[in-house]
Amino acid sequence: MSNYIPHIILGVAILLLGVGIYALLATRNLIKVIVALQIMVKGAMLVLVLAGKMTAQPGLGQTLALTVIVADTIVAVIGLTLAVQIRRRFGSLDVKDLTRLKR
Amino acid sequence: MEIIWYVLAAAGALVCAALAISAKRLLVSAIWLAGCSALVALLMYLLGAPEIAVIELSVGAGLVTVLFVFAINIAGDESTALPVALPKPIPWILAIGLLALVGWMVLSKLMGGEMPPDYGETFYATLWTSRYLDVLLQVAIIFTGVLGMMGLLAEGKKRPAAEAPGSDEEHS
Amino acid sequence: MSTPAILILLTLGLPWLGALVVWAAGDRTEKLSHTLAVIFAVLSAVAGLGLLLQTGSEPVQLADLGGVFGPISFVPDGLGVFLSVVATFIGSLAVIFSVNYMHGEKQLSRYYAYMLFFIGAMVGLVLTSNMLLMFVFWEITALCSYALISFNSDDPKAVAGGVKALIMTQIGGIGLLLGALVLYIYTGQMDYNILLANPAAIPAQLLPVMAFGFLVAAAAKSAQFPFQTWLPDAMEAPTPISALIHAATMVNAGVYLLARFYPAFHEVPGWTFSVMLVGLITALLAALMAVVANDLKRVLAYSTVSQLGYMVYAVGSGGIFASQFHLLSHSVFKALLFLAAGAVIHAVGTRDMRQMGGLGKQMPFTRVVFIIGALALAGIPVLNGFWSKELVLEAGLMHAPIWSYVLMLIGAGLTAFYTYRMVTMVFYGEAHGHAHGDAGTAMKIALAPLALGALTTWLLAGPFAKLLSAETLPYHGIEAASTFHILEEVISLPTLIALAVVALGLLAWVFRSKLAGLGRALRGLGWAAENSFGFEAINRGIVRGVSGAAEGLRITQTGLLNWNVVGIVAGLLIVIAILALGA
Repeated sequence: MSNYIPHIILGVAILLLGVGIYALLATRNLIKVIVALQIMVKGAMLVLVLAGKMTAQPGLGQTLALTVIVADTIVAVIGLTLAVQIRRRFGSLDVKDLTRLKR
Repeated sequence: MEIIWYVLAAAGALVCAALAISAKRLLVSAIWLAGCSALVALLMYLLGAPEIAVIELSVGAGLVTVLFVFAINIAGDESTALPVALPKPIPWILAIGLLALVGWMVLSKLMGGEMPPDYGETFYATLWTSRYLDVLLQVAIIFTGVLGMMGLLAEGKKRPAAEAPGSDEEHS
Repeated sequence: MSTPAILILLTLGLPWLGALVVWAAGDRTEKLSHTLAVIFAVLSAVAGLGLLLQTGSEPVQLADLGGVFGPISFVPDGLGVFLSVVATFIGSLAVIFSVNYMHGEKQLSRYYAYMLFFIGAMVGLVLTSNMLLMFVFWEITALCSYALISFNSDDPKAVAGGVKALIMTQIGGIGLLLGALVLYIYTGQMDYNILLANPAAIPAQLLPVMAFGFLVAAAAKSAQFPFQTWLPDAMEAPTPISALIHAATMVNAGVYLLARFYPAFHEVPGWTFSVMLVGLITALLAALMAVVANDLKRVLAYSTVSQLGYMVYAVGSGGIFASQFHLLSHSVFKALLFLAAGAVIHAVGTRDMRQMGGLGKQMPFTRVVFIIGALALAGIPVLNGFWSKELVLEAGLMHAPIWSYVLMLIGAGLTAFYTYRMVTMVFYGEAHGHAHGDAGTAMKIALAPLALGALTTWLLAGPFAKLLSAETLPYHGIEAASTFHILEEVISLPTLIALAVVALGLLAWVFRSKLAGLGRALRGLGWAAENSFGFEAINRGIVRGVSGAAEGLRITQTGLLNWNVVGIVAGLLIVIAILALGA
């Protein structure tokens, strides 16, 4: 049965990606957008670790996953800072109220 | 029989993720995200990557959750029961379409097989010798991120109310 | 680490460190920004001069990134070291000049940071032997050029000039990237010395693609035909920037590229002829446009383009040494002219020459150094411009068709004509404007070495040839010779003919009232020259077309985040569909 492990992991990763993308398309709150990004990145990390294991290089897989974690955490930091500043400036975190970048 | 753990962890992670994005209150959403991180960390440990599992647990389920809680407290935690901004079917169509396509592409090509035994370098050796540039770049990213955050947070305080928003930053 | 490695690291790293320090110091005190910038610029110039003593053809590897990127390697050979000395030395002089010129301006930290960043990138560009790294440095110089041209971001003309420069030079950058990738595909490495040693490493069908791609890249960067329109519009930059970037360093990158890759490409059929033709057309077109221009910096910009045309022409004719020698002279006297013009503009407050005149009495020091630069530009004997221009013309005479030589001679005459016109309009005649005193102290400190250089750099011909000889450049076939030997070649009949043409050009200006009839007959040409021979019209048409298309597509910008994500996901779907179905 252990030969289905890659399928399970990849399935989870793809479904996490799907959940994240659905959230990006459907949510109206900026902080939820950051949550969605975090979910997507977990899927990516899983694939990296799995790839490391499948090619018998767990060290490499984990190192790359570490880089992804660091980068993604910094994205969350900056994203949340932006959300806080937007809330201060514009008074709302609703995406519909933040449409100044338009025609 | 250990595959049952995989299945449970995977299903749990998915459930947590789905609950995280559909939660009405932002704090609850952050908590579910922490749960998802923990289960993903468990999955990575099961895959034979204990070091990264620990890091993911402490960063994803710890640091990021604390960040979210701080940000939500400052930014306000209104309950969001707002309807979707786009026409209803579009998010579903696009998400499911993407999933189907990627799933078909990846899983149909995947052959079942035994996991090969590990013979690569250990995590520590890889991280500090052959990928040391990665470590340097990560440090650089962390510094830039912190500097960016401080720069962004300082924006609101220095300017008087009369100045128009969106004046250019000097450092651009 | 070996001495060359340390010196290269210093020459490249000091300006970049300086850029960081100046930027971090912020705009608190103006004096601090000035002092820090000058210190770092001068230190890097010293390091560059030290590198002169350590030239060799051995590559210096700083780190190995493996895979496609290859090692971060630098080669301190003659061509690279000479250009990095020019970049750091004239860079530090421009920084010193800026102390006076940019006095009282805002956001100086941004200005100096970009300037120092640029100097470092230029040094890296000419010293590296890794093609991908060369491309990275190329793009960095383009970025700094854009940022500095539109430094006065409140002025729409400055921003437009910066954007135009960026777009045109980026088109060239694509040619460079293409060449780098072709090299990697066929040799598995990014080191271009492999290509120089053995041009046959790349199959004969692809070598012309690379050769002409590089020609396009060089033409775009050096504002040659048909890309010559961005340089005059880049004159909205502060004058020290015009002196540094658009006279002495960045525009030389194109000529450097052609000279560096000459051994690899000169066998490609039609390449040398195209290079020569591009140089010729540019030299003449730009000289004609300079004759009718009224903005002091525009005249200098057109003259830069024209002189670069001479250098490109020399490369096309096989005279690599002549082209590099002219590059050296031109960097010195053109930087001198631009900085002196900057002093004039700073004192009078306008760039229009019709509102100057009679400034010679009010600005004696500036007048002297400007005239020295102008004499070098026109090619009057004893000054460095004379020797190098004659060498270029000799190269043309020996290896290029005779009609091209004649046309270049006419160009030399035109050069003398517009130079004399420029000098008289600014410094002699009746005064239409008033100058607020002569150049400041820092300006004088920057101008004096350049004037001295214009008078003396020709004496370095011998050591210069030795620098570029096979000791450091094994594939270029330049012979080392003594100064006397080189200069002796110049003193010959063709030189006398050239001198006669130059004298003719000078006299034509002096007797312009008598030649008024000729002037009227050529008025059509003058009108065409003022409208830059239709290139501006083409430019405007392209811009209009693009803006129109952009306006039409505006409806997709709803500003709603979710719609933006829809766009991203839809694009992703299309790409994955193509991958899935095509695999």
